[in-house]
Amino acid sequence: MQNFKNKLYNYETPPPDEIWNNISEGMKGEKVINISHYRKSKFIFYAAAAAISLVIIFLGSLVFKNEKTSSSSENIAAREKNISPQKMKDSMFLNQKILESIIHNPKEKKEIVSNDLNQINIHTKYLTIEGPNGRPVKISPKVATLIVYADKEFPPRPVWSDKICKWQQIMLSSTIPPTSAGLADLVQNASNNDKLQ
Amino acid sequence: MTAASNHIPSESDLINGCIKGDAQMQRLLYDQFSAKMYGVCLRYAENTEDANDVMQEGFIKVYKSLSKFRAEGSFEGWIRRIFINTSIEHFRKKVKLYNVTEIQENTIEDSELDVLDSLATKDILNIINKLSPGYKQVFNMHVVEGYSHKEIADLLGITEGTSKSQLARAKGVLKKMIEAEKGNKNRD
Repeated sequence: MQNFKNKLYNYETPPPDEIWNNISEGMKGEKVINISHYRKSKFIFYAAAAAISLVIIFLGSLVFKNEKTSSSSENIAAREKNISPQKMKDSMFLNQKILESIIHNPKEKKEIVSNDLNQINIHTKYLTIEGPNGRPVKISPKVATLIVYADKEFPPRPVWSDKICKWQQIMLSSTIPPTSAGLADLVQNASNNDKLQ
Repeated sequence: MTAASNHIPSESDLINGCIKGDAQMQRLLYDQFSAKMYGVCLRYAENTEDANDVMQEGFIKVYKSLSKFRAEGSFEGWIRRIFINTSIEHFRKKVKLYNVTEIQENTIEDSELDVLDSLATKDILNIINKLSPGYKQVFNMHVVEGYSHKEIADLLGITEGTSKSQLARAKGVLKKMIEAEKGNKNRD
C-alpha cells in the first residue's frame, strides 16, 4: 500500500464534544435489544401465543356451549319469572277446571278420580284416572309439564286441553284393557287397537 | 469527558457492557474508536456537518448492532464497516449516482499519485475532499479501503463499469490537482 493510503486509512482526529452528547442523548431510553436472544425466543413466543390461542378457543367453545344449552331453560325460567303470581294462579285454576271437567264428564258418565287435586304441590302427586275397563291409570303431572315445555307454551291451556281431550277420546273408545298402568302404554294400545279396527 | 478508569475492560467486556446498556462502557467504546471513525467520516463526507451527522448515526448503529458481532473479524474492522456503510447511505440520500456509459478512460497509474505520499495527511485529505462526492466515494472505497469494484458496485447500486470509470476520473482529477498544487509551490 502506498504511504498516502496508509495515512488516509489511519487518519484520526478527535470529534467535537457535542457529538457524544448527542449520541448519549439519542441512546437514552433506548434499550439495546439482543437480536440473537430475540430470535431464539421468537419461536417460544409464537408457540406460547398459539397455545394460549388454543386454550382461549377451547374455553370459549365451552362457555358458548353452556350458554347455548342453558339459554332455552333460562328463557323458560325467565318467562315463568315474568308471569305474575295472579296469572300463575289463574293458570293453575284453569288447569284444575279442565281436569275436573274430564273427571266429571257427564256425557260419557265415566268417573275419573282425582287424587289431592286441590293440593298446591301438585308435582309430587299422581293423577289417577279410570281406564276404559274401570282400571285405575296413574298420570304423572310430569307428563303434563313435559308436554307444556315441549310445546313451549305457557300457560299451557290450549295444549293441555287439546291433548287431554284427544287422550280421553282414545281411552274412552278403547275396549281392550291396558296391560300396563302407564298412560303412554294405554294410549299406545288404544291407538293400535284403533288402527286394527 | 474521558472515562477515567484504571481498569481497562477487555473487548468482550466492553461489548457485553454496551449490549446491557451500560453507559460507562458505551463511553469507553466511544473513546476508543471515536477519533478513528471520525477520520473515516471526514474522508467520506462532503463537509464537517455531514461528517458529524454520520459519526452520530454510526455510533448509535454500532451500539444497537453489537449483539450481531460474531467476532469473525476484528472489532475495529466491523465498526469501520458500519461507518462506511452509514457514510454511503448518507451519501446516497443526497446524491444520486447515475450509471455512466462505459468509456475507455485514460488509465492513470497509481504511481502517478505517489506524490501524495510526501504530503501531510491533512493536506492529502484536503485534496481528496476537493473531489466530487461520487469520485470521492469510489476513490476512498477502492484505493483506501481496498474494496473491489464488484463490492463498490453492490454497495453503491451501480455497475462495476461505472465504478471503474468513476475511479479513473477521480484519479485524473487528482492528478490535475496535484500538478496544479506543484505549480503553485514552484511559483512560490
